[in-house]
Amino acid sequence: MRDYLTTLVWGLKSICVSLWVTLRYLFTPAITVQYPDEKRVQPLRTLNRHVLTVDTLTGTLKCTACNLCAVVCPTRCIELTGQGKGKERRADTFFIDHNLCMYCNLCVEVCPFDAITMWTRIGELSAYTRSGLVYDQPTMTATTFYPSPTTPERPAGVPAAVGGK
Amino acid sequence: MSLLANRFEPNVLTHSLDWLVNWARKSSPWPMTFGLACCAIEMMATGASRFDLDRLGAGVFRPSPRQSDVMIVAGTVTEKMAPRIKTLYDQMPDPKWVIAMGACAISGGPFYYDGYHVVKGVDLVIPVDVYVPGCPPTPEALIYGVLTLQAQIEKSTLAKRPEG
Repeated sequence: MRDYLTTLVWGLKSICVSLWVTLRYLFTPAITVQYPDEKRVQPLRTLNRHVLTVDTLTGTLKCTACNLCAVVCPTRCIELTGQGKGKERRADTFFIDHNLCMYCNLCVEVCPFDAITMWTRIGELSAYTRSGLVYDQPTMTATTFYPSPTTPERPAGVPAAVGGK
Repeated sequence: MSLLANRFEPNVLTHSLDWLVNWARKSSPWPMTFGLACCAIEMMATGASRFDLDRLGAGVFRPSPRQSDVMIVAGTVTEKMAPRIKTLYDQMPDPKWVIAMGACAISGGPFYYDGYHVVKGVDLVIPVDVYVPGCPPTPEALIYGVLTLQAQIEKSTLAKRPEG
């Protein structure tokens, strides 16, 4: 009998303690991000959908169709063709299959011309078909983008660091 | 509903009924607890208090296929798991929808070319309504996928569809 009553009292006490924790959280501000209306501030190096960058001086793509990104891609999701010879060579068609992409940033790191970046804050991609997730060159070309975190763009007039490009 | 579906021309009654039924369906797409791999971690984060899928009515993760409307296939679909997915999908009552979450579920992802054990896309096994790419997708991306699914549910109608 005595054991029973002791268990009862301790049980009631534990319920009070747990409800006290719940009650404390009732009066703290809610941490929910009201997503479609309100966007979370993403971390600095969040990797999102690719963007092909444009040279602001000439207005053409920086991509020279050297195929390095397509070769380095572990999932082989990049396909591109180039046109022109030598320094005039530019990407003609450029497809990235976001069905396969695993957002590893290797294509950005390997690119010698900063022609592709994943630091774009375009994270919401959904489609009703698989072909709707294959992005072509006009869709991915962007004049405004965040600089790549691994090869940051310098503001105009700042000299290149030693050994940097 | 299937007794009435596709039997009437579009009129004011079917339109009103569509509005009511679609409102009810899109406001409570209960997902099935179906995490296969690391995408499930993001799915849990989406259901938790920071992102709170319950705001869309889609946060009631059911442990039984008979109580759920949406199957969020979150993760790598292996050849061994594929028959189970098919079984669970067949056990879900109509109307049912499928969200393929993450590169693995959509197309096999990193295993597409070299994997011997991965189904090259869950849409080879069951019909998929919305594809959410990412590796894994952020909680925002999954919520966006649910919103896309709700937009699709809104378009469904009881009336006869135009030919072609």
